[in-house]
Amino acid sequence: MGRAPALAIRLRAVSKAFGAQRALDRIDLDIPAGSYVAVMGANGAGKTTLLKVIAGLAVPTDGSVTIAGVEMKRAGPGLRALVGFVGHESMLYPDLTARENLTFHARLFGLTDPGGAVGQASRLLEVERILDRPVRALSRGMRQRVTIARALLHDPAVILFDEPFTGLDEAAALSLSGILERLNTPERVLLVTLHDVARALSGPQRLVVLSSGRVVLDTAIHGSDEDVAATYLGLLRSEAVRR
Amino acid sequence: MDAKTNAPSADLPEQIAPEAVAPEAGRARRRLIGIATLLSIPILLYMGLVFAPEDAQQGPAQRIFYIHVPAAWIGFLAFFVVFVASIALLATGKRRYDDVAAASAEVGVVFTTGVLITGPLWGRPVWGVYWTWDPRLTSFMMLWLIYVSYLVLRGYVPEPARRARYSAVLGIVGFLDVPIVYLSVRWWRSEHPGQIVFERDGMPAEMLVSLLVGVAVFTLGYLYLMSLRLRVGRLRDRAEEEVAA
Amino acid sequence: MTWLGSAATIAGKDLRLELKTRDVVASVGLFVLLVVVTASFAFPTTGEGREAVAAGVLWIAFLFAALLGMGRSMAIEKEESCLEGLLVSPAPREAIFLGKLLANLGFTFAVELLILPVFVVLLELRVAGAALLVLSAFLGTLGIVTVGTLFAAMAVNTRGREAILPLLVMPIAVPAMIAAVETTEAALTGAWTGGTTSWLLLSAGYDALFLMVAIATFPHVTEE
Repeated sequence: MGRAPALAIRLRAVSKAFGAQRALDRIDLDIPAGSYVAVMGANGAGKTTLLKVIAGLAVPTDGSVTIAGVEMKRAGPGLRALVGFVGHESMLYPDLTARENLTFHARLFGLTDPGGAVGQASRLLEVERILDRPVRALSRGMRQRVTIARALLHDPAVILFDEPFTGLDEAAALSLSGILERLNTPERVLLVTLHDVARALSGPQRLVVLSSGRVVLDTAIHGSDEDVAATYLGLLRSEAVRR
Repeated sequence: MDAKTNAPSADLPEQIAPEAVAPEAGRARRRLIGIATLLSIPILLYMGLVFAPEDAQQGPAQRIFYIHVPAAWIGFLAFFVVFVASIALLATGKRRYDDVAAASAEVGVVFTTGVLITGPLWGRPVWGVYWTWDPRLTSFMMLWLIYVSYLVLRGYVPEPARRARYSAVLGIVGFLDVPIVYLSVRWWRSEHPGQIVFERDGMPAEMLVSLLVGVAVFTLGYLYLMSLRLRVGRLRDRAEEEVAA
Repeated sequence: MTWLGSAATIAGKDLRLELKTRDVVASVGLFVLLVVVTASFAFPTTGEGREAVAAGVLWIAFLFAALLGMGRSMAIEKEESCLEGLLVSPAPREAIFLGKLLANLGFTFAVELLILPVFVVLLELRVAGAALLVLSAFLGTLGIVTVGTLFAAMAVNTRGREAILPLLVMPIAVPAMIAAVETTEAALTGAWTGGTTSWLLLSAGYDALFLMVAIATFPHVTEE
């Protein structure tokens, strides 16, 4: 199902380029199980591409992506079963109910007990009450919960969130932070891209910063870490000067 | 606390002056092909208008054949190049194959337009009508339409990598479609009037030679236009990169 | 999960969506009807030789119907990045294509079967070979939908969205259309010749070829 050995994700010299345009430039990353990583960087720095490469949505032009010891090049479809992806949009069909959407995805992931998986995920995200309402009728916050439930149906070892805090009010953001904390277990890897430095420092244990497709900062975070914040802001300023 | 900071100041953008990148050899080769094309055009004109004998039944208008048929060959060759480059792009992901495919499509559409113009010009004086739904000409019209849809598609996809992949798919599907179009139109209509090219023994040597000269000249023209177009493409890409940076 | 299993799940989802909203069948069905009725006024659909005209009218209507349906079907996947939801699953890309193909084929063919009797009545046609009529409709539709599903996946990601789909499909679909019109005409007049068999084979060959090409190239359309 979703149990990964100690080293969950490994990227070696991963590049994604077309001609001279490089979305990712020789990225090396080791992310062990139990990690909760914040990924930051300016727009276009490669955050979304990085997530897509791990999710199997994008194929690197160079280098290797390994999950749970298996290279993606060799076992693409099977590895996707280890990854849950929550993107900008909900990936839910607005005219179907939440339950119908979740059941569909459960079947798509080949789960033998779709109903059970749907029940479990919806309990975790506290969306049982609204399961039978069409997604179109759900509030933004509820829709995001169902979206996350969708990503958790197959109990993935790696869960990727692409800017999940964007557009959320403070209450919803706090709620989401809580969900992420609960998801952070020793067997899982959480990767979350975001823009808010304060958000990045409260929750994640590691911060990776991308710029022009390269990793420019990769550091552990301990509690409220002023040094890390200062380093990051210094990086931002130096980039602004470079432009 | 382990903070690894790889400040990006180490990698300078590779600013190279355009003149330095355009290799002198490339420009010389282009000029050579261009001059060869230019010089060979009068040769073709002589061959087509003077050297080749006049066709007994069709009269002087038949001479347009020496432009019409070579243009058709090149129009088809250009699309074949698009096909091969498209497969190469999907197989390797290398940008240069997309550059070649795009260039060949643009140059090819020019030649194919020539076919569609010279066809009716030939048809009217010889057979009395501008257009018959004859299989070859109709297939070329479809080829032209596929070329155009290829170029329109490219115009609708701003992101280069995606544009390359989508164009490649259309290039492959389109090329495989053309022979089927020809077959289906041929079954649907009668034959091309005066299938001269395939009846080798029916064509006097002078006509055949003139035709081959035409093919050679048009091939040179294709290569020249391709090299120009590829250069323009490279310059445009570099300009876009500098704007984006 | 197997290819067919994933494809069936996806097609099933499309069917469930369609049953709920009746989005595609309603708009497409009405559209086909309007095309047929309008064309009956525009073209000489009475008298001798009207079967040829009728076959042409019918297939123009079917073509536009297919284009409309496929455009809608892919637009639904584009909304809310639902296609991405399919792509992050273990389902092979080829199976995703097959699933969408089956759904598009099913809807379009269903509309066609509903419209055919209406068409026959309105234009006072006698149907000499009903089986041939259905077969020619199926083979022709399969060809259009195979190429169309592939191109629709591209079209929704372009600046013009689904609007560019007819431009991409129509030149490619010409052989399928010619074959379909010829065989439909034969089905209406009853004049089944050796030529008709050739047309059916062409139709089937076209379908087979482009099915293979589409399956081979679809992953390149969906990957980034």
